Amino acid sequence: MQAPIAAVRARKPATSLSSARASRRKALLGTLNAAAPEWGSIEHIETLPFGPLLTLERFRLKNGLELLLCEEHSAPVVAFHTWFRVGSRHEKVGKTGLAHLFEHLMFNEVEGRAAGEFDRLLEEAGSEVNASTWLDWTQYNAATPKDQLGLVVQLEAERMSRLVLREPQVTSEKEVVANERRYRVDDDVEGAVSELLWATAFKEHAYRWPTIGWMTDIEGFTTEDCTEFYRTFYAPNNATIVVVGDVAEAQLLGRIAKAYGHIAPSALPLEDVQPEPAQLEERRIDVSKPTSTEKLLIGYHAPALGDWDHPLLSLLVEILFGGRASRVHRRLVRELELASEVRAFVGPFKDPGLTELFVSCREGTSAEAILTVIDEELARVKVEAILQEEIERGRARFELGLLAGLDTVDGKAQTIGFYETVLGRPCAAFERLDAIRNVSSSELRRVARKYFGAGQRSIVFVRPQAETTTGEKQ
Amino acid sequence: MNAPSEISRPKVLIETSHDLPLVSISVGSKSGSIFDPEGLEGLTRLSGRLMRRTAAGRDPQDIDAQIDALGASLSVDVSPSAAALQGTVIRRSLEPFVSLVADVFARPGLAEDELGRLRRETEADLVEALDDDRGLARRWFRKKMFDGHPYGRPVSGVSESLKRITQSDVAACARRLGERDGLFIAFSGDIEGAEAEELAARIVAELPASTKIEDTTPEPVMRPGRRLVIVDKPERSQTQILIGGLGTHAADADHTALLVGNTIFGGTFTARMTQEVRSKRGWSYGAYSSLPIDRRRQAFSMWTFPKAEDAAPCIALQIEMLSALRAKGVTKKELSWAKRYLTRSHAFTVDTPSKRVGLTLDAALYDLPDGYYDDYLNRIAKTTLDDVNRALSARLPEQDLLFVVVGTAADIRSNLEAAIPNLEETEVVRFDQEV
Repeated sequence: MQAPIAAVRARKPATSLSSARASRRKALLGTLNAAAPEWGSIEHIETLPFGPLLTLERFRLKNGLELLLCEEHSAPVVAFHTWFRVGSRHEKVGKTGLAHLFEHLMFNEVEGRAAGEFDRLLEEAGSEVNASTWLDWTQYNAATPKDQLGLVVQLEAERMSRLVLREPQVTSEKEVVANERRYRVDDDVEGAVSELLWATAFKEHAYRWPTIGWMTDIEGFTTEDCTEFYRTFYAPNNATIVVVGDVAEAQLLGRIAKAYGHIAPSALPLEDVQPEPAQLEERRIDVSKPTSTEKLLIGYHAPALGDWDHPLLSLLVEILFGGRASRVHRRLVRELELASEVRAFVGPFKDPGLTELFVSCREGTSAEAILTVIDEELARVKVEAILQEEIERGRARFELGLLAGLDTVDGKAQTIGFYETVLGRPCAAFERLDAIRNVSSSELRRVARKYFGAGQRSIVFVRPQAETTTGEKQ
Repeated sequence: MNAPSEISRPKVLIETSHDLPLVSISVGSKSGSIFDPEGLEGLTRLSGRLMRRTAAGRDPQDIDAQIDALGASLSVDVSPSAAALQGTVIRRSLEPFVSLVADVFARPGLAEDELGRLRRETEADLVEALDDDRGLARRWFRKKMFDGHPYGRPVSGVSESLKRITQSDVAACARRLGERDGLFIAFSGDIEGAEAEELAARIVAELPASTKIEDTTPEPVMRPGRRLVIVDKPERSQTQILIGGLGTHAADADHTALLVGNTIFGGTFTARMTQEVRSKRGWSYGAYSSLPIDRRRQAFSMWTFPKAEDAAPCIALQIEMLSALRAKGVTKKELSWAKRYLTRSHAFTVDTPSKRVGLTLDAALYDLPDGYYDDYLNRIAKTTLDDVNRALSARLPEQDLLFVVVGTAADIRSNLEAAIPNLEETEVVRFDQEV
């Protein structure tokens, strides 16, 4: 989710729209709006450069639905993503995991269609369909052959307003989610430990519970819970549609107005966020798991994605932990041979999250020995200057990561939708690269001092359990 | 066999697109891990990685730093039948990146101390892999499915085999991987044909004219009967289940029909398996079947991961579904649906230059029949209901099945044994046993 980038080629001016095209669009919108359903009139808001070669058009329907369109004609395919500004942060204690369960239920049944018909029709159309939920958002993505886009628009609009929630689908889907939780968390060492870290680091903010939810909450959901959640959050004025690919603007706008123009906006609730109080003392947890080696997971409180320091901290983490040439990886894996794996990640969230550091020890190495080395390296960056060549390497890794993520229409739509939903700036991936373009060693040192204080961290030590199994053959 | 080849130019594959300032390069060879001598499992992968780390005799840390500075990635991927050096680079750094790739093949340092370090890293990775239940199921399925066949041997090796590998073994393997005429070089992205040809020539310029790599691997044979292998791991709330037998070969006359049949059975989110296992019963987050291809016949397998209590009924259901599929086949309606799905979704197998060139490279490395991918849509269109149902009945295994289950044996064993009719053997293995 980190956003490297590179303006490798000269950028087009932000407003490259020709006056002829603007006139054509004005005429088109006039025609469409004259015949639009009650909530379907469309306004063109702005044109934005998306990287050096592409542009992004922002439209808004009368019902508040945002539409971001990026025409790209390299292959006869289109990505159609719907991003809802609702994630696990909007849940309540005792109802954790509802946003994620709901994501599953959105594939079940809509009025006038049989259960499962949504998936069946889209697969028959050759579409690749999926969805994901995280702390701040839920997104639904369909990549489709260009000649099947009309079906995708129709079905996505239907489930935004006419979803059917009833038994036995709700109970069956709860069981599927419980199995997903067993797979991703309960029987997975890293998943279980990550959940523990966030629950330790956060005491007030909704980021303290996992997106998949606690098992007891998953088991307890009712159809009424789901219906209330749907009515509250699944509204056009709480969503952004992102379309990338081989599509003509006029045709798309006509379809969108027709399909979504009947959906009324909702009165969205005021968000009830509890800010996380500053952590002043280190927190430590020790757990045993059925694993062969010790693990270490550290979480430092980190700035929100929109904070000016976020890209700088991300660059610093890249220099310290990103790839084999990074400082900590080189010491722990190569020189000292204490670890088999080193990873780090600055959470890309709307509110302040965590910088997670994960290390898997080699056999015979203690997590404490790893922690000593990490502390030495963090202490170094707080006093010594980082070499310019290290900064440039980190920046190049950012840039490669961004470009590689834009390979497909789906990747572009994901990048646009994510930054639009979390920051309200769909091209922010490129802004982040600009932000680290001329960063100095002293700025990185300031960031290290600010975000790597010992009192700001939580640590989970994972110890291997004693073995309990034996082999035999009959 | 081993006759000197007269081919002096590499086989170059190119897909151009200027949409992004990125170039991807794959240098592939048919020389995969099946060429690892018995007892030296892991040799090809270890050698390929050591070549990448010690190009031109340089310090591995310098190489890693250079790759990062270029805005590039470079890794070695080894399968039983092929090995490939794969990289992506920001266009502005293409020249120095290609020089590095050339050094990997032409001047690998293969330093003894780095070999030792890499061996220890690999051993640590094998220990780490024990945490991954799905990976455990896959490795045990491969080992037991292809017991005694080169496909059954571990690509990454095991601790003992890695310890046996010497520098001279690695040097010999590096020569094999760097044989010019055995290489296929694929470029995709922001590069034109003439430039790609020139860079490919640079990559192989210093490589020796080579001997032909001949794959003498026999066709695998399935052991008869039904066997259950429980990979015993403590405190599993869930199981990882793989069930299968011998599958398809790209040269089979009924290959395409079998792929279509598998699409209906377990190839998509709305296929029979997902509907029955996930949607109706909620037993498993995923339920799929697959029919991979290789130079020899590969396996057919079904994958589910129900909670421990549901493992036995889930297996019983899968056996029943497989039996019904073989006996009754698929319907005309299902076939029409599958053909539309396969035809339309093909757009996503060719929507980027790297995917397009990847198909061409695979066809070359895996000896796929002429026009395998080019003619794919035609073959799908021509497939009839009879073709599919004959293929399913003839090719899918039912009595000769391997069941691999990762779970806590004490909790699941008796129920699993009761759920599998005509079970001939149960073997319980420790999850931390090397495989």
